[in-house]
Amino acid sequence: MAGLELLSDQGFRIDGRRSHELRKIQCKLGVFSQADGSAYVEQGNTKVLAAVYGPHEIRGSRSKLLQDKVLVNCQYSMATFSTSERKRRPRGDRKSQEMTMHLQQTFNAAILTSLHPRSQIDIFVEVLQSDGGNYCASVNAATLAVIDAGIPMKDYVCACSASYLGDSPIVDINYLEESSGSPEITVAVLPKSEQIVFLEMNGRLHEDNLSKVVDMAVKGCKDVYGVLDRTVREHVSQVGSSLET
Amino acid sequence: MPTDSRRINGPEDSFDPSVLLVDKKTREKILRDGKRKDGRKPEQVRPIFLKAGIISQARGSAYIEQNETKVMCAVYGPREVTKKEEFSMKGQLTCEFKFATFSCRVRRQYQQDNEERDYSCQLQDALEPAVRMDKFPKAQVNVYVTVLQNDGSPLAASLTCASVALANAGIEMYDLVVGCSARITPSEVFIDPTESEDYKAENDNEAGNGSVTLGLMPSLNQVSAITSKGEVEFELLNKGTKQCVDVCQKLYPVLQQAVAKAVEDRLSSDHVT
Amino acid sequence: MAEVDLSDAEKIFIKHGVQDNCREDGRGCEDYRHIELETGLLSNTTGSARVRLANTDILAGVKAELGTPSPDKPNKGRLEFFVDCSANATPVFEGRGGEELAAEIGNILTRTYDCPSCFDLEALCIIPEEQCWILYVDVLLLECGGNLFDVASIAVKAALYNTKIPKVTVSRDEGLVELEISDDPYDVQRVEVQSAPCIVTVCKIGHSHVVDASLKEEACCLARLTMGVTERRTVTGVRKEGSGSLDPASLEDMMQTGKRVGELLNKSLMDSLLEEERQGSKKKPVGFLK
Repeated sequence: MAGLELLSDQGFRIDGRRSHELRKIQCKLGVFSQADGSAYVEQGNTKVLAAVYGPHEIRGSRSKLLQDKVLVNCQYSMATFSTSERKRRPRGDRKSQEMTMHLQQTFNAAILTSLHPRSQIDIFVEVLQSDGGNYCASVNAATLAVIDAGIPMKDYVCACSASYLGDSPIVDINYLEESSGSPEITVAVLPKSEQIVFLEMNGRLHEDNLSKVVDMAVKGCKDVYGVLDRTVREHVSQVGSSLET
Repeated sequence: MPTDSRRINGPEDSFDPSVLLVDKKTREKILRDGKRKDGRKPEQVRPIFLKAGIISQARGSAYIEQNETKVMCAVYGPREVTKKEEFSMKGQLTCEFKFATFSCRVRRQYQQDNEERDYSCQLQDALEPAVRMDKFPKAQVNVYVTVLQNDGSPLAASLTCASVALANAGIEMYDLVVGCSARITPSEVFIDPTESEDYKAENDNEAGNGSVTLGLMPSLNQVSAITSKGEVEFELLNKGTKQCVDVCQKLYPVLQQAVAKAVEDRLSSDHVT
Repeated sequence: MAEVDLSDAEKIFIKHGVQDNCREDGRGCEDYRHIELETGLLSNTTGSARVRLANTDILAGVKAELGTPSPDKPNKGRLEFFVDCSANATPVFEGRGGEELAAEIGNILTRTYDCPSCFDLEALCIIPEEQCWILYVDVLLLECGGNLFDVASIAVKAALYNTKIPKVTVSRDEGLVELEISDDPYDVQRVEVQSAPCIVTVCKIGHSHVVDASLKEEACCLARLTMGVTERRTVTGVRKEGSGSLDPASLEDMMQTGKRVGELLNKSLMDSLLEEERQGSKKKPVGFLK
């Protein structure tokens, strides 16, 4: 990409952020009334809706039933108009299926699954607009939705991506940075215990720099946690005060 | 639409030349002078040939011919519902509408396309009010409609044909359903349009053009289906539906006769053997 | 869609209410519920709108792409509808569960827009037989609270109103055609939606009929009539749905009601779209954060 400078000499990125700065995160709990829990997250220009149903009886075939824990069922889909080039199908393609699987693994690790044996929790994620970091925004939205549904978890799950540009790591990369060919690391952590529940890397990165980038991503996750936690507290106090009156 | 992977399809970028030969004269004539190509009056239907009991394997069947529009229909069942989750104390009616590949000017595909699926739904919505679904709980009746040749008003002909086939199959019904369609121009209503008279979005650019198809249960005097295309004035749409209702009432004896004739035939053949 | 299971007594209650022109939520038979509308909330699209009516939430996005016109309509652009029922609305829609409903909504939208006099496709043509704009109208159903068809049509009309297609200049150079697409966000072509239809669904309940039925009312209704109504009071794409039948006199009444209500609906929709446009950039985008 000629003429496109991803990192200026002054250390500013293409959207004006510094290397350690996240995009603006805005979120809301309880967007829908029919779902048991729902949330909406905006990370810069990436916009994601999540809805949670459950825990409820297993739907469909009983063979999926687990005797000792809850079945976490996820679906990741992208609106056909979410990308700059129109998508033909909202789900069912390989990428969405992979995302679905990753979400499932992440939330299996975070939800206290043994509390609801022989039942099912549905987590549905819908990407309305995509500008890089879809997975991170999806995880963050789904966490809020699960909290909104009142399902017990070990901790929030916060996800953040990071990359390595020039000779410094950058956090929360957008679509342009994602598609520039630089490596991408996506991490989901449980911030309090600092456990990593999901880690994925694309592209090529020198071994020496790996820990720097992962540290950057984990730091990003903790920043995300701050924002999510504040939103949840505000939401709960709002709901609480409306109950009092 | 999913592509047909079982058969050899034509090249993707070919198209039928007949789309370029629009029958402009007939269109202009019907719009300008209110005259029809085959000399019919605006409210006159084409002659109808209707026969029930033509497919021996099917439980019931019927064939209808309105000049060049030819439709046949077969009814199977009531038979067991195989899927467990679709259990219901009411019966089920399924309809499948298909244009034969050679039936239209442009070749049709073997697989159902969107238009055919839409017609299937409409057929089902139109027949359900007439059939006594409570009489075959946990079972389903399948209706298969095939258009052999399409020269306008295929849905109306299919409705008539399917209801006669259902009666022929001995499915209990409240009433038969008679179909009729009308072409609406900015000034007039033409009953039972042919293919060249019928409304097409790509050729009729002025407002006020459209068509309406109606299904009527004559002895109950209930409308079981109505569907329209195009943009039409409300008054003309109303006039069109009224005329369709009248025509359906007039056609009713033809259906009764066909059903009765099939029963007579069956009785006499039983008598011989 | 929250499952609605009504007992016979509840159904009778609703039917009798409708007969006396008083519905379960206090509305009259020809009243709509409160509608919220916002346009231009997705920057990746050429036009977008979100409509919320009670619990029904629909997001529509329009994307303009260049393509070739179909051979039987060489001087017209194309309008393609795609409806997706998100599993967010109900777990039943997971996987391919929502496809049937999606196809039904898509068919009705296609049918009501399928007349040259109510939506001008010729304006979308760039070079006859060679280049035209294809408008992909994608409708995303996020939550169901009844009356999906009407809301979908309102969202589509609003999204088309919001659509701004970049201007294209054609230059011919030694037989080669060159298209230059303007990247100035103010050098755009608008889509004419003045005469585009809105769908009105009239539900027959007992001996009367209502518009904008709630989920409970939909459960009591055997036959409903969907009709596209334009501002000029013309009717596009009527269709009876459901397993019930109607007598000719009440059919006429229902169409009258649909026409009357549709005219008002179109008018108030255009008014609010113009109002929103007048606020221009002063208005802060709300989206889902409200």
